[in-house]
Amino acid sequence: MKTRIKELRKERKLSQEELALAVGTTRQTITSIEVGKYTASLVLAYKIAHYFGLTIEEVFDFSEENEL
Amino acid sequence: MEKFRATVKRRIVISSGMALVTMVLGAYSIYSIIISDVSTATHSDGFVAGFQFGLIISIFGFSLFDIVKLSLAINDETKLKILYNKEHDERMKTIRSKAGMPLIAITSMLMVIAAIVAGYFNIVVFYTLVIAVAAQLSVSAMVKLYCMKTM
Repeated sequence: MKTRIKELRKERKLSQEELALAVGTTRQTITSIEVGKYTASLVLAYKIAHYFGLTIEEVFDFSEENEL
Repeated sequence: MEKFRATVKRRIVISSGMALVTMVLGAYSIYSIIISDVSTATHSDGFVAGFQFGLIISIFGFSLFDIVKLSLAINDETKLKILYNKEHDERMKTIRSKAGMPLIAITSMLMVIAAIVAGYFNIVVFYTLVIAVAAQLSVSAMVKLYCMKTM
């Protein structure tokens, strides 16, 4: 799944480690979500979106899922 | 986080207890090796004793490592949070469950205990159980590595 996490991180000059610490996960998980290897759970997606002050749809791209 | 801090403190106590017990067992193993009658001992006896000693030393080493790691984390709020996140990370939980944890670890431990007990009666059973444990742990480790690469 495509996400805007990397872009949002860069805007806020935030490292993966800092984001991971803030949302209660590991740096490796943030990396996996950013490259699309891992799809975050609803809770983690909410935490990430909430951290950036956005909605889940604004951070995560669900267009591929909608095609099904 | 206070609840997790209490858990970490409890783990330090458990690891310290393990280190102490393994230290006593290790000392006893060394004593047993020294006083044993070499002329009547078979190769199998030596192997089982060596395996036990190795296991005791490994548990002792892991306990010490745990004590140091947890003590460092408990005195540093950031390290404690990182440790908490690492243990409760959803991706790692999924990977661990795909690798068969914690069941594989529990069965392996039981099989090792069974192997040690069986080793006093039948060396073939001992070898079989140890090889089975090594095989299942290897498969689990391979699955874990694969999942970590692909997830």
